[in-house]
Amino acid sequence: MTRRLRDIARKVGRPLYVNRRLVNYYWERTRRNKLAVVGLAFILFLILLGAVGPFFTLDPTLVDFEQKNLPPVGFTTLKSVYDIETDELATSEVRGIWTHPLGTDSKGRDMLAMIVSGARVSLLVGLIASGIAIVLGTIVGVLSAYLGGWADNVMMRFTDIMMTFPFFLLLVLIVFIFGPRLVFIVLAIGLTGWTGTARLVRSESLSLRTREFVMAARAMGASDGRIIFRHLVPNVVSLIIVIATLSIPGVILAEAALSFIGLGDPTVASWGIILEAGQHSLDTAWWVAVEPGIMLFLTVLAFNFLGDGLRDAFDPKSNI
Amino acid sequence: MGKSWLRAYILKRLLYAVIIAWGILTVTFVLVRVGPSSPADRYLANMTASGQDVSQIVEAIEARYGLDKPMHEQYIEYMGNLFQGKLGWSFSNSMPVIDLIKTHWIYSFQLILLSSIFAALLGVVVGIYSAVKQYTKTDYIATFFSFVGISLPNFWLGVMLILVFSVKLGLFKTYYDTGLPLFSLDNLKALVLPVMTLGTGMLAGYVRYTRSAMLDNLRKGFVTTARAKGLPERTVIGKHVFRNALLPLVTIVMFDLGSIVFGGAYLTEIVFGIPGLGQISFNAIFANDYPVVVAVTLIGTSIVLLVNLVTDVAYTYLDPRIRYD
Repeated sequence: MTRRLRDIARKVGRPLYVNRRLVNYYWERTRRNKLAVVGLAFILFLILLGAVGPFFTLDPTLVDFEQKNLPPVGFTTLKSVYDIETDELATSEVRGIWTHPLGTDSKGRDMLAMIVSGARVSLLVGLIASGIAIVLGTIVGVLSAYLGGWADNVMMRFTDIMMTFPFFLLLVLIVFIFGPRLVFIVLAIGLTGWTGTARLVRSESLSLRTREFVMAARAMGASDGRIIFRHLVPNVVSLIIVIATLSIPGVILAEAALSFIGLGDPTVASWGIILEAGQHSLDTAWWVAVEPGIMLFLTVLAFNFLGDGLRDAFDPKSNI
Repeated sequence: MGKSWLRAYILKRLLYAVIIAWGILTVTFVLVRVGPSSPADRYLANMTASGQDVSQIVEAIEARYGLDKPMHEQYIEYMGNLFQGKLGWSFSNSMPVIDLIKTHWIYSFQLILLSSIFAALLGVVVGIYSAVKQYTKTDYIATFFSFVGISLPNFWLGVMLILVFSVKLGLFKTYYDTGLPLFSLDNLKALVLPVMTLGTGMLAGYVRYTRSAMLDNLRKGFVTTARAKGLPERTVIGKHVFRNALLPLVTIVMFDLGSIVFGGAYLTEIVFGIPGLGQISFNAIFANDYPVVVAVTLIGTSIVLLVNLVTDVAYTYLDPRIRYD
């Protein structure tokens, strides 16, 4: 009995990434939430789509004015052509064709190809930018909690200022100044979006700092660096996973919103860029605005479902 | 009231708010001024068109507005003026910033106010209902739709509403008509789609927050006591549970205000062409018109900081146990 207890105690105290039993337990709990599983499945599908999809679709940059404004398969639109011989507008019905299953835009580019390459862009932006934000936030949060005193004060006051700063306005300013390149957009979002993570990680680390295993480590003469990286950081991993899942949709939306107001990278066909072009041709080609928006919506929804499920699994009481 | 500590607390918070606002304004000023073009460019385009010498005009304009001085002098002068309440001169609109804001603030205000009312009223009602009927079909539907609501990109929702109701059905205009009198039915009608655009995300958020705040309190001991006393369910939910749920709810709602003012409202104004503060500061960024950008940032930030302070002070009255020291 005592051995069993000691065994459990040892396992519970171990951080998530080396504790298979705990990982399995959380996975079981997450799996019970059907929406979370659906969300995860969609995200995996999206990753696959972004990774290998572009090899199977047409070239998303291929312009073909003969085939412009084709509706998706199953839909028809009216197309007016000016006939120079009879001096009349001839209106004909256009059907979607299987060569372009999701239709084409005003330059005759294949919508399916653009949506697929947009998936790659949106996912990369989401993962990299929230990766930067989370690494920064974790560093600030853990250091703030561990060092305490004036260092904590300075870092947290700075975090307060950053939090009060109108996030979107800041993004618009930075991107406008440095130019609409995807690199800058990702950096801007990453470098401004870490504040929430910092606060949550700090409050979690504050309670970890006083726990027995940290005191034991210190008593055994562990260095600050070792305590931070071996004991504090691994134990906030579950919190970080939840924050990451819930912050990725915000990042993807921020990039799309920037593109939508004309500050997107014009060389990359992200969903926001397609959407921006689509809103100007609502009366001739509604699908150009509808399709990337649906993908954007489903992606954000999937991350929200998964994040909610993970949070409930890790800590049903938390209110992130 | 015996809240002598409150005065000191408010003073401390106000001082703190001023420091934060100063920090934000400085960053904004620097960011706008290091931008790629000079505020004089806008004049330049017009005047070169009439065949005048370019370099002379630039010099004249920059001297006129003090743009030729070193950056730190401009900064000190600008901040000094700001401190005296002078918001400066808008280069791109050729008018004082204060006049610009006076004519445009109402468009943002009406949009945010109407959306907040719409979202808060409906959100709280649905949230309470959803919590009381937890794990019923109604609750699942409400929860699902609140997920949909928070996941809908609001600018896309705006475009879709225009597509369906304006382009296809022709019920509304595709653009907001500024010529309408403020308190008229037509103006209200023109705001229906923008309010739905901005309000849907807010509504979904309020449903979620209300539901979880209600659930936190529903299983507490005092609720059982209230029921045991034989109080009608209406009173139990309305007076005992909801009042206690209100505090965390208000916190989250106020915390969201900033992102609504600067994120959602901003994009909604752009989608519908509403000439509010978001729209003018957006145009000002592109025109490098820093007095407008800083002024609008100042207004938005002040509102957020002030509302946060008022909320914190209001807590001490809502819940007398709360003390800040």
